[in-house]
Amino acid sequence: MRRTVVPVAWATATCAALLSACGAQSPPKTPSPVSPPAVASEASNPYAALAKLPDWGGVWDVTFRPPQPGQAPPAQPKFTPPYQKQWDKFQALNKTQKGLNFVSEVASCIPPGVPQSMIQPYPIEFLFTPGRVTILIETEGLTRRIYTDGSPPPENPDPSFQGTSVGHWENDTLVVETSAILPETSPVNGINGHSDQLHVTERIHLVDPNTLEITTTRIDPAVFVEPYTTKAYYKRHRDWKIMEYVCEQNNHDALDANGNAAFSLKHKPGE
Amino acid sequence: MKLRNWSLITALCAVSLVLGHAAMAHHSTAMFEWGTEKTLSGTIERYEWTQPHTFIWIVVPGKRGKTQEWGLEGMSPSWLGRRGWSLHSLNAGDKVAIVYYPLKDGRPGGFYVRVTAPDGKTLEALPTRNQ
Repeated sequence: MRRTVVPVAWATATCAALLSACGAQSPPKTPSPVSPPAVASEASNPYAALAKLPDWGGVWDVTFRPPQPGQAPPAQPKFTPPYQKQWDKFQALNKTQKGLNFVSEVASCIPPGVPQSMIQPYPIEFLFTPGRVTILIETEGLTRRIYTDGSPPPENPDPSFQGTSVGHWENDTLVVETSAILPETSPVNGINGHSDQLHVTERIHLVDPNTLEITTTRIDPAVFVEPYTTKAYYKRHRDWKIMEYVCEQNNHDALDANGNAAFSLKHKPGE
Repeated sequence: MKLRNWSLITALCAVSLVLGHAAMAHHSTAMFEWGTEKTLSGTIERYEWTQPHTFIWIVVPGKRGKTQEWGLEGMSPSWLGRRGWSLHSLNAGDKVAIVYYPLKDGRPGGFYVRVTAPDGKTLEALPTRNQ
């Protein structure tokens, strides 16, 4: 008999707890005469707060937009001596050769880092969830997670291609602060590498219903003698879908052993 | 043709200035004679609808009945797919004429600019003035 006491007691207690949790022991509730609000309050449903954010739906493709009347032409970056040397070499190449002359590891399927990952020739997409904006970049299938819940950035995060980002909303402008970006990435077209001090600020907002403007400021005392700011414009395509991008699938453009641009005429394996 | 090229180059320079980046491909085009149009005709051996670039393998007739295989890189499936191309735009056995930018080192390869199919339709494979 003794042996059965414990299991019975356990079973009774468990059932009571389960019934309690299920509300089975509560008396039936009288229907409230007042209908519940159609939209839950922000306190009970953090998704409700998202309705206040601007409509950035669809897919955004970086595009050329000529300087507007009265707008100053884009400023040239001011570099520290070692980076000025790299820049001068790049500019000289541009004068003598047509086409694109910036050779970087991106050709070998190493992803671009922030901020250059935002101006690749393929579109980007924004997702809003409570306390976070996620940017999906078609190039290399990159993801940027921007925490907007007010928590401070982590201390000493590991460097990464897309860095560590926090953001906040200033009315309809998303302000993103990014640091801990891998030093082997490119801070601006024509320059390879930067220090671990690179800090990027992006201000993102709509300038008309279907044009997004991103103002990007780079600060890195090892590279730039003053903050360097550029603007990029994106056209909305509501009917486009972000597609899969696997750079290693069929890349003929990997750099050669000396780090120079190259082109392979080898067939894909198995063909 | 020439106007089109200048338009592209001008657009690229402008993009480069404004963005601090030339939004074009995931790599430099230093290995091609960029902007120098050449034409070849042949039979499609295989059309690879792949990332990061599409690729045309084409057999081109040469002297004394010999043939040569050429490899031509193009924009990505995502870029072309949004501008009227598809996986089935080119098929093995199709006889086509291709305008391309050649490799600088003389090997049988390059970057394809536009393709004219047997039905006479021409598909543009790089930005033009209207894009």
